[in-house]
Amino acid sequence: MSASADIVRVDDLVKDVRPGFGLRKKRILDGISFRVREREIFGFIGPNGAGKTTTLKVLMGLIRATSGKASILGHDVSEVAFRRQIGFLPEQPYFYEYLTGREILRFYAKLSGVSPRSREGRVTELLELVGLSAAGNLRLRGYSKGMLQRIGIAQALVHDPQVVFLDEPMSGLDPVGRKEVRDIILRLRSEGKTVFMNTHILSDVEMVCDRVAIIVNGKIRYEGAIDEFLDAGEPEADLVFANLSAEAAARLEERFGARLRGHGERIELRIAEKDSSEVLRVALEASAEVISVTPHRVSLESIFLSTVNEADAEEDSR
Amino acid sequence: MIGRIWAIAVNTAREAIRNKLLYTFLFFALAMMLFGVVLATISYVERERMMQDFAFASIRLFSVAIAIFVGVGLIHKDIDRRTVYTILSKPLSRAEFLIGKFTGLILIIWLQVAIMALFFAGGSLLMGAPLGFTHLAALALTAVELALVVALATLFSSFTTPLLASFFSCGIWLAGHLSRDLRDYGANSSSALVRDGTAWMHRILPDLESFNLSIQASHQLPIAASDVWLPALYGAGYVAVILAFATLIFDQRDFR
Repeated sequence: MSASADIVRVDDLVKDVRPGFGLRKKRILDGISFRVREREIFGFIGPNGAGKTTTLKVLMGLIRATSGKASILGHDVSEVAFRRQIGFLPEQPYFYEYLTGREILRFYAKLSGVSPRSREGRVTELLELVGLSAAGNLRLRGYSKGMLQRIGIAQALVHDPQVVFLDEPMSGLDPVGRKEVRDIILRLRSEGKTVFMNTHILSDVEMVCDRVAIIVNGKIRYEGAIDEFLDAGEPEADLVFANLSAEAAARLEERFGARLRGHGERIELRIAEKDSSEVLRVALEASAEVISVTPHRVSLESIFLSTVNEADAEEDSR
Repeated sequence: MIGRIWAIAVNTAREAIRNKLLYTFLFFALAMMLFGVVLATISYVERERMMQDFAFASIRLFSVAIAIFVGVGLIHKDIDRRTVYTILSKPLSRAEFLIGKFTGLILIIWLQVAIMALFFAGGSLLMGAPLGFTHLAALALTAVELALVVALATLFSSFTTPLLASFFSCGIWLAGHLSRDLRDYGANSSSALVRDGTAWMHRILPDLESFNLSIQASHQLPIAASDVWLPALYGAGYVAVILAFATLIFDQRDFR
């Protein structure tokens, strides 16, 4: 690998498709570039139809890019042999339903080149990891959606890959299942693996990802550490007052650019954190009663939504 | 590589064996063979030949039906249900996947030919009909023809829907059986275009009549070793070309 830290390298990737039999092309990926570093959990997020799954399919060699380069562990994604070192969970996976959980893992272990000596042990270990030990001998036909998702995760890990690609890994799971999958992902990182995760469940991204890339309309809008992303804006604070006169509220709105929200007799103001002392002084002078002062942490969701809105506005203005 | 192909083949065989169409066609084939025995029993002349003609026709016709109608769905099903996503993300080339699918299905088709052959042998013994090397050779060449038909089904299944793939496969199978007649008919034409055209069609289309030794078998006619190994070699070569072509097409496919 040229840059040892880069496990996945994507450069100027373009994917055009022709919907139906028409001659007009539709651009799904518009020159995207990003890097995934060693031993990190990378969140690839974006709204539906943004190009997340297409990117993942290019990385898995399931579709070919129109132009650009993509490599994993220094190997071009069109190569086959290096796939021994990667695992993949597709979105809403489907497996041969006439096989049992144990048989399907055995099948994928064989395809991945797991030696016959260690195969059974590995299958048992994986069934345990995803909480399906008791259901290992049941046919997949009888599995629930959540159980299929778990067996999907197990098949992605059965050959102990170095890099794991997960497309919507929490999909179809209940809160307990989601927590368990999050724990598996965190465990993978602690074992030195790299995880690439496609998702639109932002709370999960906030909880497990080290870095993220946001893709909107086939373009990367942001790539970087999640903390930097969350801290990108000016810190804000929420102040709640009682008995704040309408006149004083209007004055605060005008002077500090406060955003007001009324809750009965209480008024909530969102202001820049640096103005907190001054706002408090003005409000107390106006005989208002302070109920609470809370620093406001910008959620990934709000930044994500504003990124998507900006991208949409840009598209509309063209 | 062999291990991966074998894993796909075994799984394909397990999948094919669950297909109800297989049992339906097998049932009808055995029923037709039984009908042949009954018909031969009430016949006054050439009972043995009648029974064996009936049996050979049943084996060929119903095995081809199984090969086409089970074969065309196998790859399409994997793409449609997206099982291909997890399989091809493993260190397995698309060629290995395709060859594994072909191998799995041909194993099942040959197994059912073996079952029909046992039935055929039982009927022949019952009727006191002769059994010999020619019968074995005829069945072996039927097996080669079936490999070719499965390869065709695999080819069409790699890029189109099961319905179209079955139309194409049936069409080529029919044309393959008529290509020799077409060439002979064209050779008598006064037009050079027709003569050359039919000759080229015969060269391109599989000459499936070259695998047909049923008349020699039921009439106890002598055959030379080259009547078996030459068509077998031709069939193997044709299968290799079709599979190479299928791989080429399958390799270019986007799984969207």
